[in-house]
Amino acid sequence: MTAVDYLSLVISALLLAGIYAAMAVGMTVIYGVMKIVNLAHAGFLMLGAYFAYEMYERFHIDPILGAVIALPAFFLFGMAVYWVLVRWLPKSDTPTLASLLLMFGFWQVLQNVAYLVWGNTAYSIFTPRSLASVHIGEISISKDKLIVFTAAVISLVLLQFIFNRSWFGRSMRSLIQNPYAAKIVGVDDQRTSMLSFGLGTAFAGFAGALLAMLYPFTPDFGPPFLLRSFVIIVLGGLESISGVALGALILALLETFSINIPLPWYWHGWNFSYLPASYQPAVSFVLLVVVLLVLPKGFAGLFEKKWRVA
Amino acid sequence: MNDKFFRISICLILLALLGAVPLLAQDTINIGVVMPMTGREAKPGLYQKEGIELAIKQINGAGGITIKGKKLQLKEIFYDDGSDSAKSAALTERAMSSDNVVAVIGGYSTALGEAESVMPDRYQTPWITAGAAATSIFSKGYKYTFGTLSPVVLLGSTTAEFLGSLVDQGKLKKGLKIALVVENTDHGVDYVNGINEWIGKHPGYFTVVLTEKFDLGGTDFSALLQKVKTARADIFLSDAHLQDYITMQRQYLQAGLHHQMISYGARGPESDARKALGAGTDYILAALWWSDRLPYPQVQKFVNDYKAMYNRPPDSWYAATAYDSMRILAQAIQAAGTLDKTKVRDQLAKAQLKGSLLPGMVLSYGPNGQAGYSFLVTQNKPGDKVDIVYPKDAATGPAVAPMP
Repeated sequence: MTAVDYLSLVISALLLAGIYAAMAVGMTVIYGVMKIVNLAHAGFLMLGAYFAYEMYERFHIDPILGAVIALPAFFLFGMAVYWVLVRWLPKSDTPTLASLLLMFGFWQVLQNVAYLVWGNTAYSIFTPRSLASVHIGEISISKDKLIVFTAAVISLVLLQFIFNRSWFGRSMRSLIQNPYAAKIVGVDDQRTSMLSFGLGTAFAGFAGALLAMLYPFTPDFGPPFLLRSFVIIVLGGLESISGVALGALILALLETFSINIPLPWYWHGWNFSYLPASYQPAVSFVLLVVVLLVLPKGFAGLFEKKWRVA
Repeated sequence: MNDKFFRISICLILLALLGAVPLLAQDTINIGVVMPMTGREAKPGLYQKEGIELAIKQINGAGGITIKGKKLQLKEIFYDDGSDSAKSAALTERAMSSDNVVAVIGGYSTALGEAESVMPDRYQTPWITAGAAATSIFSKGYKYTFGTLSPVVLLGSTTAEFLGSLVDQGKLKKGLKIALVVENTDHGVDYVNGINEWIGKHPGYFTVVLTEKFDLGGTDFSALLQKVKTARADIFLSDAHLQDYITMQRQYLQAGLHHQMISYGARGPESDARKALGAGTDYILAALWWSDRLPYPQVQKFVNDYKAMYNRPPDSWYAATAYDSMRILAQAIQAAGTLDKTKVRDQLAKAQLKGSLLPGMVLSYGPNGQAGYSFLVTQNKPGDKVDIVYPKDAATGPAVAPMP
């Protein structure tokens, strides 16, 4: 491999990290405040993709603008879901079986509703930009991936800002740190939870709309992203926005380089060989197991005092 | 108490016998159909179901099948396996054990077909797959398993043979390097074996510089495509299912890759792909079991009938192989003259469907239960056009090589 090939791999990993961060950040917000492992996240991603598609097909709205419109639309949708379903769950400091089952069931409902509405056809959004690339020497960078990367960075910065600078952010952080103390000092946990659920859903819908620019989608769209989102938030430390960025970057780098760089292994002496590409999905799960065993608070736990926003 | 128990028992036995009456005096021939209507394989599954239903409609419209002097109508008992292997096997078992079916048609795609293929011999019920062609299904000595698709090894070797013919014509140079990227299934393994088999028998034509596998339903192939780029190959051959084909080709183009020839195995002309990628699918090659461009009158009739029933033309080969699977099954039942599954199986093993839609116009199954007709190679052309480019006698247009 030449230096250009390595550089191309690094860029590819960075862009992939952007996609991963965009899809995982909504899940972190909801877990952080409510300790709910939101299995319906995959359903929200899927609905976000269809939202962008409908906006594009019916109203000729560019999917980027469609993703921006998805933010308020899914914020309201998320608050409605919270009001109708989630608020009845028993409060807990740890994820409960009831919340897991509720969100899993809701995901199934969303999926089946999508089958009723859109059928089993694989949809995709094809714009004049879809196959366009930016060329820097021998390196080609997909314009759509660049846009998704930029959107992911903006959403992470925006969330950090909300967490650090707004009243709502302070309420969220207090609930994450100590829900009982937060309530004693007057934080309205019901209202904050509802807004947090809305915010998490908004970012899931936003991410789904962005992903629709890159991949074909069906009502089954979501599970591969859901699994990677799990890995990322565990890597990042479950409740940390900056941890999401770090987790996404680590996962993307490992997935990209593991199949492109010869790895050392020992059998009658040291050998080097490539990891077969079909093992690439296993990278994330091996990483998940290792992190849970060695760093249960994720990589962000290492830098807890400085990095943890909540 | 004993008397009461006795009377209840008699009532239950009578009820059970009443339930069995329809089985004894059956006026329909139940055919189990297990296909994915949801999940990853939903679209091809739908097309196969439509092909079967068109054949059933036509056979019933012509009066049905005569069994012991009585005309019986075909009745489809349908199950959606959700593109899930375990569910697919369970539903096939259910159809064979509880639905009184004479045979089951199912098994799109290879992974689902493999899961289903263990059931037919267990329940001694004929099973035809119109969408799975991996050697592994037909090499286990099963007696009740039949496959309407020619082997995937042949798909690979036909692709290599076609590329070799381009070298002979001077359109491609000798000694070109091939990158092989295939799905991590027996389908993919067979495809690689087919390519390597041909290259082994024809030294000097091509060299394989990269062989990689990927998981079905992948989301991001950028790292894998980077490996393809690094391999500096001249020809890119993949074996992928529809969604993976769309995702990979999109990322291939975005990565600025270009090869002299590209193929995704048996995928290429699908309308979903052309809608998703526009001109990005132009010049892609596909080795197919069937094409609507075949110059047979029955193909034109099938296309017209399909359009009349579903208001759209058949998309690629999926419906045609399913249609012929149903027709050859009906012919075997008619020849057996009974609904005895073993006799139907024996007839299927020696059946010859003349006037078949498939290349060669005769469908029959080999000793291992799998059909063995030749493949067609098609190439997408600009303006949503698709030409058969190989074999020569069926060609509807010239092959464009190397790709512009």
